[in-house]
Amino acid sequence: MPDPVETSKIQTSEPEPAAPEKLGTQENRKWPVLAEFTPEALAKMEKVLPSKLNRIVQTSLAGCIHCGMCTEACHYTQSIPEDKTLVPAYKADRFRKWYKYRYDWMAKAFPSFVGAKPLSKDLADEMYDKLWGGCTMCRRCTFNCPMGVDYGMMVRAARGIMCEAGRVPQNLQDTVDAHYNHGNNMAVPQDEFIETIEWIEEELQSEEGCEHFTIPLDKKGAQYLLTLNPREPKYYPMTIQSTAKVLNAAGVSFTISSRYWDMTNYAMFNGMDGDAKLFAKWLFDEVDRLGCEYLMSGECGHGYRGIRWEMSNWLGGVPFKITSSMELFADLIQTNRLKLDKSVHDNKIFTYHDSCNIARSGGVLEEPRVVIRAAVNNFVEMPHNREQSYCCGGGGGALAMPEFAKRRIASGKIKADEIKATGANVVLQSCHNCTDMLKEICEHYGIHAKVMNLAELLDPALVLTD
Amino acid sequence: MENKVSYALYVLQEPVQYIALTFMALMYAIKIYQLMKKPGPPEKAELKGDRYAGALHSLANVLRPWGMESTRSHPYFYVEFLIFHIAVALTIGSTFFIPLTPWLMTPLVSKVIMVFMGLAFLIGLRRIYRRITVPEIRIISSPDDFFAITLMTVFFAVGFVTMWLWIQGKPETGWMWLFFLMVTFFLIYVPFSKISHYVLYPFGRVMYGQVFGGRGILNRNAR
Repeated sequence: MPDPVETSKIQTSEPEPAAPEKLGTQENRKWPVLAEFTPEALAKMEKVLPSKLNRIVQTSLAGCIHCGMCTEACHYTQSIPEDKTLVPAYKADRFRKWYKYRYDWMAKAFPSFVGAKPLSKDLADEMYDKLWGGCTMCRRCTFNCPMGVDYGMMVRAARGIMCEAGRVPQNLQDTVDAHYNHGNNMAVPQDEFIETIEWIEEELQSEEGCEHFTIPLDKKGAQYLLTLNPREPKYYPMTIQSTAKVLNAAGVSFTISSRYWDMTNYAMFNGMDGDAKLFAKWLFDEVDRLGCEYLMSGECGHGYRGIRWEMSNWLGGVPFKITSSMELFADLIQTNRLKLDKSVHDNKIFTYHDSCNIARSGGVLEEPRVVIRAAVNNFVEMPHNREQSYCCGGGGGALAMPEFAKRRIASGKIKADEIKATGANVVLQSCHNCTDMLKEICEHYGIHAKVMNLAELLDPALVLTD
Repeated sequence: MENKVSYALYVLQEPVQYIALTFMALMYAIKIYQLMKKPGPPEKAELKGDRYAGALHSLANVLRPWGMESTRSHPYFYVEFLIFHIAVALTIGSTFFIPLTPWLMTPLVSKVIMVFMGLAFLIGLRRIYRRITVPEIRIISSPDDFFAITLMTVFFAVGFVTMWLWIQGKPETGWMWLFFLMVTFFLIYVPFSKISHYVLYPFGRVMYGQVFGGRGILNRNAR
């Protein structure tokens, strides 16, 4: 039986909560996904191709000399050497053959001489298999290509073409559709999100020394608008708690929007520019609504890249500053706004995995190392690090494509070998796709290491003062 | 050295070459125009690095074998690449020097060019062997890839003999005819072949350098 006093307290002191706002678009879209390429789908692809050929994509399609130098750059070929069809040049050629058939001068007269092929169901099937399930768009091969072929941009263009025609991994498209329909990719309702943040705030306040720490929602005029990965409120609330604890400890003025807080943008993975732009616009509008100085991404690889680098391109520029929690943490440490006790981590050995979108495509290379060196004494770099880091295998939306899971896990072997070589028992990273992938490969390849992000690293090392 | 040749060989060495060269330039101009009319990807975000320094850094990549893992781990491959392309440049130069400034083609200069042609011939043979025997290279190779490297290899062999005869004071030989006939073929064929990759090279490298330089990943000292 409910306590009448408590019931009365609720009735008298708590105003009736407003009905949750319908976020996302007003329609309820379900993108038509095809089980196989139909003649109509192929015709659609033929129609869409020219619109995807910007200068970089065209140069990348025309510029490969088949030297094979990309072979050793790819985590797929390094981890699965027996499958030669995973060589980046081979995978890209599934798209390039069709491009050449349409545009190469020599191919007009002698298509087979230059390896050109008309778009057929067989070729499209190969494109689907190799460019959705055999490439994470990590761009490591781009960094090792003498010609500067940008495989990431090229593969994204090919994915966009296939997606427009309806041939896209169902689960990946469902993720984009959820974001489109609900304003975040896990369809978390607004009231549930608010409740979760309030619960995390209570948990934070129950920690010693954190009684006055807050996680402000919709606080106008805050300096930083913190954005989250939906996996955090759903499965990793501790990440939000740790991030908020660090920000509070440093006296950072921040807020989280109760409306559009999802920093992810899976339209980067399915190549749909219109959706990518829409998701970015929602965040743009929230910064504007709340009058924040900075839009800040939490720890999420593609989310960071989407916000930091691509948002301005999609929207034609932004009037506010953009940063990430990784960069802010490093700044707070370098300006002595955080006091850390390294000894709490002395019984562990740490290594750091550079997310491709944060490091190679994002330029955040040294900041995580500033954070780590301030928080731990035992840090070991992997043999390939920073912009030369191997993709863990979870990039490019790979985790949202269960049909390619076996190959994805196999592709993580080179990363698993590098983690093992460090002898680390904690793998640090700043990306949720990397988190899940690293956990999977640690389990699969028998590595006894915990996976955690930078906020979770800083949290126990914080020395809280008045 | 003097280039005393018949009128027929003169026609092949000069007017025919000019016509073929003009054709090649026209084809390249069209190629570049078609590329440049495509929208360049914008970079409107606040930069972390320098796009121009990145582009320069990227263009100079060819001179920094330590700058790329693929060349860092295969220095022998890089040396081959360097010799092969120096030989290409010297051979192209010789097709101008022989008819226009034969006095530049002294025995010493000719011998240097000949040595590079000989080395490039051997490298060409190795590259053909590699393309045939290395599975991952074979499956990405089209007939054009084989034709291009074979043609270049044969061309270097012909050039080597031609230079050797030139050093003996024999400017008009069957080999010289063959050499310039091949040059003519190259000038017409190359714009349609993968050999024209050198036209796309600066575009690819500059765009790569701009993107990754601007984001502060290349030449990090330029931040």
